[in-house]
Amino acid sequence: MNDIIQIIGQETVKVIIGLIGVLILVVVNALMLTWLERKVSAHIQRRIGPKEVGPYGLLQPIVDGIKLLGKEILTPANVDRPLYYLAPVLIFIPVLVSFVVIPFDTCLQVKDINVGILVILAFSSLSVLSILLAGWGSNNKYSLIGSLRSVAQNIAYEIPLLLSILPVIFMTNSLSLKDIVEVQREGWFIWKWQFFAFLIYFIAGLAETNRTPFDLPEAESELVAGYITEYSGMRFALFFLAEYTSIMIISAVATVFFLGGYLGPILPGFVWFFIKTYFLVFVIMWFRWTFPRVRFDQLLNFSWKILIPAAFINLLVTGGLLKL
Amino acid sequence: MVKKTSDDIKNTLKGVDVVEISYTERGYHLAIEAQKENIVSIVEFFDKKSFYLADLCCVDYVDYLELVYFFNNHKEPCRVKVTLKVEPDKPSAPTISHIYTIAHWYEREIHEFFGVYFEGHPHLVYLFLHDAIDIYPLRKKQVSVTEDDKKLLSSFKPEEFEDGFFINLGPQHPSTHGVLRVVVKMDGEYIVSAEPVLGYLHRMHEKMAENRSYVQFLPNPPRMDYLGALNFNLGHVTTIEKLCNIEVPERAQYIRTITAELNRISSHLLWVGAFVADLGGLTPFLYTFQDREHILDILEGITGSRLTYCYFRFGGLYNDVDDAFIDATKQFIKHLRGRFGMYEKLVTKNVIFINRVKGIGVLEPGITTKYGCSGPVIRSTGIPFDIRKVEPYAAYDKIDFEIPVGATGDNMDRYMIRIREMEISLNIIEKAIEKLPSGPFKAEKVPKKLKPPKGDVYHAVESPRGELGVYIVSDESDTPYRMKWRVPSYSNLMTFPYLAEGELISDAIATLGSYDLVIPEIDR
Repeated sequence: MNDIIQIIGQETVKVIIGLIGVLILVVVNALMLTWLERKVSAHIQRRIGPKEVGPYGLLQPIVDGIKLLGKEILTPANVDRPLYYLAPVLIFIPVLVSFVVIPFDTCLQVKDINVGILVILAFSSLSVLSILLAGWGSNNKYSLIGSLRSVAQNIAYEIPLLLSILPVIFMTNSLSLKDIVEVQREGWFIWKWQFFAFLIYFIAGLAETNRTPFDLPEAESELVAGYITEYSGMRFALFFLAEYTSIMIISAVATVFFLGGYLGPILPGFVWFFIKTYFLVFVIMWFRWTFPRVRFDQLLNFSWKILIPAAFINLLVTGGLLKL
Repeated sequence: MVKKTSDDIKNTLKGVDVVEISYTERGYHLAIEAQKENIVSIVEFFDKKSFYLADLCCVDYVDYLELVYFFNNHKEPCRVKVTLKVEPDKPSAPTISHIYTIAHWYEREIHEFFGVYFEGHPHLVYLFLHDAIDIYPLRKKQVSVTEDDKKLLSSFKPEEFEDGFFINLGPQHPSTHGVLRVVVKMDGEYIVSAEPVLGYLHRMHEKMAENRSYVQFLPNPPRMDYLGALNFNLGHVTTIEKLCNIEVPERAQYIRTITAELNRISSHLLWVGAFVADLGGLTPFLYTFQDREHILDILEGITGSRLTYCYFRFGGLYNDVDDAFIDATKQFIKHLRGRFGMYEKLVTKNVIFINRVKGIGVLEPGITTKYGCSGPVIRSTGIPFDIRKVEPYAAYDKIDFEIPVGATGDNMDRYMIRIREMEISLNIIEKAIEKLPSGPFKAEKVPKKLKPPKGDVYHAVESPRGELGVYIVSDESDTPYRMKWRVPSYSNLMTFPYLAEGELISDAIATLGSYDLVIPEIDR
């Protein structure tokens, strides 16, 4: 055993174990989030939600997963097969990789890369590619419109997303997520001048993950289910899991950048990390069950005319203050 | 108004006979017999005087077919019946679709049911039926579809075109409540043109009516409009009472008012939820359903059913209300009044909601006569047209209430009007309960087998969606000779192609939602 470790190197073994851990985390987390979403929506809508399977219906997502696995995988006629098959697989990889660089605790991180945030941003942009593949490959007009909306939306909202975290990077002089958290021992960035950056980040993050009020790519009253209209069974489940995982990532990055990551008194670091992240996830769900959907032109106008200028002003002010 | 119109017609159109009719007996003020030569000029006259086309139907008298045009004015009630006789073999008549847009659909309907060919109609294809039907179903004698007609009757097939594509909104689509299909020609996210395709829920209620007695037809109207069932029930019953001259006791009139208003509130509540769900907000739907549940419970207690009520009978009601009903209704009024504040915070004042509905789907007051819209759709344009006020039935003339009107005719106005109407309905119910007299709830001496006198009658009530008119022709037998239902959603939906043109698809869906469509009512 030691020999094998010697050959492939200790660092590599650590990364492999970490990756397996991340995979388990991603799946369990996504399952939990589907449960949470159902419970949150139920209580907001004065219902009870799942309660039959397991205590408080906690095992419901597992049963649902088995159901989806057991379903026949239908392939509609006239789809572009390679693209159609590739899209659900491809959407899962970027969200998985993003987890590698997130510091859950002081020493609970798969790999601390000195350009950590760049990895997350680069890979999260890739998810739009698989949405486009799904929309194009499905040979369905609703899917196509949904995916094209998604592309326009992602391009529009990636800029404010990036601009809103730049001030924090200015202040820490590092792209490593761990360094950013460590700097916040003196105070979270959300309270240290970056409250507006947090707001811009959070709104742009909502749009990036296609959540209400920006859920246009899958606007059900207009486009049935958007780019996932033609998917069923496990392929559908993969899109579903990817959506919840990307919500998790957006919340996790917000926690790292603005809410002090794993920092907090008494409780262990990773507990604080998950409390903060899940709180943001809860807020995102809360939005979904409260707001109607914006219109497409309103969505783009909001980004280009309000969010991006606001983010630029915030960046300039921060830069100016730091120079002084 | 009636006298003035009558004189106007006599002065303007030479050689046209205008007969004044007893409104209380027949439900219309004037009758005009037109000829093929002058029908278009008569219709043009009514268009100029800003009358709207309330109904257009056909009656088969075997020797001849009679086209019946009903005109009415939004400002003052002046119902005019214009009849045009056409020959039964190869019947044809000049089209009026270039004058009244809604006539497009009425003429298509008559064409498929009676085989009347409308000269000059641009698109005379089937509206409800599918093209395999080879007889004209509403003709009294079996007449098979001619070869010439069969060519015309191919169902809707959109042409492909460059730089765009077609989308079928429906019949299976989350935004169309029911089985409406709208073929939308799109250029990117914008709608080039929209064409509703009807008939997916067509059940031929009008033919059914001709084959069963008046009493046997009682359960049918509630099934046309499952949300405003009591109002349809009321429309049916009051029309036949008018035809047979049955006096309804005071108590029954008040109870009819109370239950019909409860039904209106439940319909509007469902609409509010569904409308916001169309815009992507799913939670208000559940809240309004919870409130609606109270009404369903109350009405279940007295009518026995929860959705398709059949509670009114000729000359009265099925049974009397008890104290439990009164108490529950009073409690519900209190409950719902407390909930309006919550809806205002959750929906009405929501910035996203306001941005989505304000200034969208603007219907100018000038064009409403072309379509014959009614209900909240016409009131949103600022015209206070409400059958409950202009032609009162049940106990509405004894209760004071206001009619909410909008200013711009956009989706926001249609939303606000329905919210206001719910509040006003609560006031009406409250006042009606206060005044509720004691006495019999059923007229005495209503024969079990109704045989109304010969003649026709038109009667309208205000359903939650607008003017619901029933036209009955009786031939002294115990079944109606012809029963035509003028349904509100039909003419409201006709404005959709006009409003959707050039809009974004999201806005068009909001507009479609704002009509409060009930598809079985359109398809009948």
